Amino acid sequence: MDPHDGLRKRAVADISEEAAPLLPETDLYDKTAKPPRTTPKVFTWQPTTRDYIIGAIFTALALWTRLYKIKWADYVVWDEAHFGKFASHYIKRDFYFDVHPPLGKMLNGLAGVMAGYNGTFEFESGHKYPEEINYGVMRIVNALFGAGTVPLAYYTGIHLHLSRPAAVLLASMALLDVALLCISRFILLDSMLLFFTCLSVYTLVVFRNYQKTAPFSAQWWFWIFATGLTLGACASVKWVGFFAIALVGLHTIEELWDMFGDLKMPPTTYVQHWIARILALIVTPIAVYMFSFWLHFTILNRSGPGDAQMSSLFQANLLGSNFENNPIHVAYGSKITLKNNGHGGGLLHSHVQRFPTGSEQQQVTCYHHKDENNGWFIRKPWDQPGFNSTEETDELIKDGSIIRLVHSSTSRNLHSHNVKAPVTTSQNEVSCYGNNTVGDRNDLWKVEKVDDTVDSKGKEIRALTTRLRLRHLVTGCLLRSHSVSLPQWGFKQNEVVCEKKGDPNSRNNMWNVEQHFNEKLPMGSKADFKTSFIKDFIDLNVAMWTSNNALTPDPDKEPDALTSAPYQWPLMLVGLRMCAWGDSDVKFWLIGNPVIWWGSTASIVIISLVFFVYILRAQRKIDDWKTPESWDNFWFAVKVGVIGWVLHYGPFWIMGRVTYLHHYFPALYFAMIAFSHTVDHIGSKFPKLIHYALVLAVNIAVIANFLYFKDFAFGFNTSAFGYTGRKWLKSWNLHD
Amino acid sequence: MDMDNLRQRKPRVGDADAQFPLNADDELKDAVPRIVYRPAKPADGTNIYIAVLLTILALVVRLYKITNPAEVVFDEVHFGGFASKYINGKFFMDVHPPLGKLLIAASGVFAGFDGSFDFKGIGSDYLGPKVPYVAMRFFPGLFGVLLVPIAFLTMKNLGYSKPSAILAALLVTFENGLVTQSRLILLDSFLVFFTGLTAMMWSEFLTYQDDPFSLGWFNSLALTGVALGLTLSVKWVGLFLVALIGLSTIQNLWKLLGDTRNSLTTIARHFIVRAICLIVIPMAVYMAMFQVHFWALPNSGSGSSFMSPEFQATLKGNEIAATIKQVGYGSKVYFRHEATNGGYLHSHKSTYPGGSKQQQMTCYPFRGFIDEFLADENSGFTLLPPLEVINGTIIETNVTEFKRIKHGDIIRLEHAVTNKRLHSHDIRAPVTDNENHYEASGYGAAGFTGDTNDHWRIEQLEFDYKNPWIDAIHTPIRLVHVNLGCKLFSHSVKLPEWGFGQQEVTCAKNGKKRLTTWRIEYNENPWLDAKAEKVNYQRPSFLKKFIEIHQTMWRINAGLTSSHPFDSRPDSWPTLKRGISFWTSKKGGGQIYLIGNPVIWYSATLSLLVYVAFEAVSAALVKRGIKVTTTGYIAQASQGGWFLFLGWFLHYIPFFLMARQLFLHHYFPALYFSILLFCAIFDTATRRLGTATQSLAALFVAAAAVWMFYEFSPLTYGTVMTKEHCKRLKWRSRWDFDCNRIGRKVKSSVSQVVSGVTGGAHGGGASPVAEAVPAGGAVAPVENPDET
Repeated sequence: MDPHDGLRKRAVADISEEAAPLLPETDLYDKTAKPPRTTPKVFTWQPTTRDYIIGAIFTALALWTRLYKIKWADYVVWDEAHFGKFASHYIKRDFYFDVHPPLGKMLNGLAGVMAGYNGTFEFESGHKYPEEINYGVMRIVNALFGAGTVPLAYYTGIHLHLSRPAAVLLASMALLDVALLCISRFILLDSMLLFFTCLSVYTLVVFRNYQKTAPFSAQWWFWIFATGLTLGACASVKWVGFFAIALVGLHTIEELWDMFGDLKMPPTTYVQHWIARILALIVTPIAVYMFSFWLHFTILNRSGPGDAQMSSLFQANLLGSNFENNPIHVAYGSKITLKNNGHGGGLLHSHVQRFPTGSEQQQVTCYHHKDENNGWFIRKPWDQPGFNSTEETDELIKDGSIIRLVHSSTSRNLHSHNVKAPVTTSQNEVSCYGNNTVGDRNDLWKVEKVDDTVDSKGKEIRALTTRLRLRHLVTGCLLRSHSVSLPQWGFKQNEVVCEKKGDPNSRNNMWNVEQHFNEKLPMGSKADFKTSFIKDFIDLNVAMWTSNNALTPDPDKEPDALTSAPYQWPLMLVGLRMCAWGDSDVKFWLIGNPVIWWGSTASIVIISLVFFVYILRAQRKIDDWKTPESWDNFWFAVKVGVIGWVLHYGPFWIMGRVTYLHHYFPALYFAMIAFSHTVDHIGSKFPKLIHYALVLAVNIAVIANFLYFKDFAFGFNTSAFGYTGRKWLKSWNLHD
Repeated sequence: MDMDNLRQRKPRVGDADAQFPLNADDELKDAVPRIVYRPAKPADGTNIYIAVLLTILALVVRLYKITNPAEVVFDEVHFGGFASKYINGKFFMDVHPPLGKLLIAASGVFAGFDGSFDFKGIGSDYLGPKVPYVAMRFFPGLFGVLLVPIAFLTMKNLGYSKPSAILAALLVTFENGLVTQSRLILLDSFLVFFTGLTAMMWSEFLTYQDDPFSLGWFNSLALTGVALGLTLSVKWVGLFLVALIGLSTIQNLWKLLGDTRNSLTTIARHFIVRAICLIVIPMAVYMAMFQVHFWALPNSGSGSSFMSPEFQATLKGNEIAATIKQVGYGSKVYFRHEATNGGYLHSHKSTYPGGSKQQQMTCYPFRGFIDEFLADENSGFTLLPPLEVINGTIIETNVTEFKRIKHGDIIRLEHAVTNKRLHSHDIRAPVTDNENHYEASGYGAAGFTGDTNDHWRIEQLEFDYKNPWIDAIHTPIRLVHVNLGCKLFSHSVKLPEWGFGQQEVTCAKNGKKRLTTWRIEYNENPWLDAKAEKVNYQRPSFLKKFIEIHQTMWRINAGLTSSHPFDSRPDSWPTLKRGISFWTSKKGGGQIYLIGNPVIWYSATLSLLVYVAFEAVSAALVKRGIKVTTTGYIAQASQGGWFLFLGWFLHYIPFFLMARQLFLHHYFPALYFSILLFCAIFDTATRRLGTATQSLAALFVAAAAVWMFYEFSPLTYGTVMTKEHCKRLKWRSRWDFDCNRIGRKVKSSVSQVVSGVTGGAHGGGASPVAEAVPAGGAVAPVENPDET
């Protein structure tokens, strides 16, 4: 940033006017390698006893607000229906599939264990918790994470060089935002996500201070690795955590670039800075993220509802999957299911519904759900004897065999022809046609063996371990499935096409036999099927990505009242009813503290303008800064607040998926930082008394609004019409 | 930001010479004291002669054999077709703004084209119907020719040496892709021309930096704005150019701001003049083009149904007659679906093959005149009062007097022709088979009372308690099924053959508001005579029409997601992975295949990498306090590089964000900037060698380019070449022009003639791939030799 550069060069460092105790210079530097700097540094940011007292008070208040009446709603609220159920899966250890990474859900599982829960409750939305579940304990675990954000906010303010009243304001906002409070009191992921987001900001801010004063000191190492660990944890709770990684990444790039321009820094030191960052900020988060998946796979070792998202080999290793009963070699007459090898590929599927376009024959799709419609019989081609036999045989299928695939429940042949596929119109359609005795040459497919994890040299096709291609005999195209969803008429299942000039190396064109039934052949054993963690890890992440993208709103449907669009968030145009809305129900309405939401949005604009004005003034050679540090600190706080907000909010605009109000919460935290920074910065242009009075006034407004709106977070069991004075906007769905 | 920094760090006067002893290149000497962009003034008189000579050369190269082929080539199908529509004045919808198409139409008018030819398919013959296609190709071709002197002058304005500027012009002249695209009835030559013109005017403006508010300064700035508006009026790609000029302006103002000798008032003046010239003028030009567009198309045509009824009412032949305002029981009404162009609620004697097997309800548009519209009785429905239940028996209520209908009234709708009533029930819709959609059907008969599933509540979209009446045309309405609570719904989903491809109508729970909105467009009531108060659509203002047509263009553009055999993604463009087959002669002669000149194309791509590397190294050196690249002749020579690179970047990268169908020729504006960038780098690298050596080097590069142009020219001009020649051009396997058919020409000439009859029959496929298969060669096993 220009003025940043310019100012740094121009100004001579001098001691800040707010004289704080000087630490001895020798303590600031790594004594062995670093040349001491010429200007003395000031630790204006180290918390004092007073700060510890304030932090303790905030912690106590946070605990009280988060835990107060936490068990009052004795039924499954909002997405507890999902995350409670996921906790059950960890306790029962059966494999499930979900779009979020596992860390947060595992912590909820752990909370379940702590509560002595045995995993048998279905967590159906709105159902009353049975006696034996101590749901309070599970909620308390979440609430503790939520409470942690409050003292973190305070110390973040202090380390960001805000004035103490402004840091109090920041903590106060984290404490008293009704929406953050409300979401932290249930069995969800959001309080953990918020906690790790706040923690990563905190670690980043502290680290930066050590970077400025004492690089390579023990504390410096501690905080850089703390940042990396936290970022990893953050991304392991929800992918939103990657936006926090982006923020740290951008800051790090700028930091390294600035150091590159520091002519006094020896090259070896510079290289060490790089290495430290690669280890702490790239390797560590990846390791944490992968470790969370390793734990996930290790805990969930039984077959469960999520099997179908994973490769056949992975499934074979789950307890309770019946694949070990598969006969190994595949033969004519076998009944099989075929699994696509593309990332997150499904099973070859057909059903009685027809294509509305093209040939209008029976649909063929790829689908993850396991049912009878995934079964196919391998039959002989029309010109060979016994083509219409339905007997199982022991005549093995080999590389190059010509087969017909007959759909088990409709008895139609897998068929392709020169008709455009329904969505990917440049490829050929694949359909189901005819029956076991009626058909044509377009029903014939040639089996091509790609490789085999056990026996790559042999010609035979083995269940689970052989990857194969199916080449359409007449047109030479390859059977392919890819992550393109069919429209509603195809139930959003994946499209199956026959790829002309098919790429033989594309995983989307490869298949393997998953389940295999043939009484004439001997059974295999589990020892034949091995899988690798890395492959499973990638498979699962791709499947999560695909499912996440498939969460798109129906273009024909008016979006339901639960969803909201990004544009509605910063102005708090919507609230969210988290449960049933009967007069005597205990109700929770997810709505923010208006002062915080509107004020923070306004301050994003204001501080950006202020920043812009400073830049313009700098270009006009007007110096507004007493020290380069003061500019540096200002710019850093803007960066954390505004850029953090942009990174956590902007991407939702380009996401196709349905979005909810709580997706804004991490961005809101950054907006809060910008808010307190803005108030503090504008206040600092005035005498101290006015400055602090201004900050205090905002804080009082925050407190007052909290007191007015608090029931929506703590719950209320009277008619919503009783709160009609709090329906400030027409679009707030507090009552109809 | 850091790039900006570099730009700002101007070399100080005189600090370059000492370090770098230069040859006596007077241009360069002149350059050194100038700080920013070196003005070309005092004007070098020879420039104009060079420009003229280059133009003449380009005329020859680019218009050679423009008559060939006398058949419709590639997208001439579309753009020739649009010319016909302009000439006939028939309103059409297209994703592009009007200027380019207007220019084509104008050339057609001048040449005496009567608009009767429909440009139906690639390969259609021009000579028979006497289409003045040569004139219509000549016009875009001329714009393509003029790009050549523009390239030269732009380079001169940016401060590059004469040999380098001439080289740039030559490379533009001999770029096969640019040539191919600019000798056909297409928009791209206009687009690239206006893009180049804008860049030239802006570079001209930059030469006036030390003479602000002079006449030349004003002129060049205003002309930049005009050219910008024209570019934008050809294709929306012009928006990237707006971004380029915008960023360049910000950079320019930033520099002024940094010079503290300029008072804030001066800077404000600078700002205001730029705002007027670069925002107001282009907007005015752009909007004026749409006004011309509306004037030129007064009649209803193929595009009418895309537009709102208000808009359609402005077109001749599509006027909707004023209709009686007050709607009452007994009224015969036509319901129009608001959000889709599916038309009117419709029913006919056919039944659903599945579900309830009751009579179909669809949406059906009418095309033609208002009388025909009324003749289409199948869209007429009579508003009946609800059934009454008295002592357990259901009775029809008779209508005996006029009773006006208001928000919340219960009605039944009886189909005027078949007497079936609009009905819904707990059966899923025929195509949209999911839990949100119930079937909407026609049920009952004359004399049969039916049941309460015929009851619909008619509602205003936004209830207005002051005016609760349901009026024709003015009131957007919703029909809510009383028993199910679902709303009458339609969307652009077509019924299969049994429904004649008409649009599906369902009763939807939670349907999108705009898809459940209807309007009564025609209303007659037995109790109201012709003197009753009538209403009609309000004629929209120009601005409203302008906004609506943009919304429609945007929607259509976003909907262009289907794939084309020759579409491509942006990542394949800089490496010229594959071309586009434009036309293949049916008689076994030549073929036109859009492909770049590899020498030029790859040099241009390489120069991008060189430039990025240069800037990266330069930024790193500056950061380390080493100022080799920001002072002296390198800084001078690479001065314009940033502008050209940014031009390439902004015309290329945004395509990655576009999901729509894309083609190689979308890269051409970016290619133009990258060719100039190559010459800028060439200049930087060779300037120290002196004019003579530099000229020699330029000559060498130009010779290579010309030779390569000559090699590939049969694909450009569509002339015949030998099979060996063709195979020689196959540098990459994905360049899929067809070589095999060339050799077959002689051998199979007899069978070609014999099967010529069948060949002619399907000579009209709109897709170019249909032509890639030899006509009449249905039996021939060879489809495309590259397929294997």
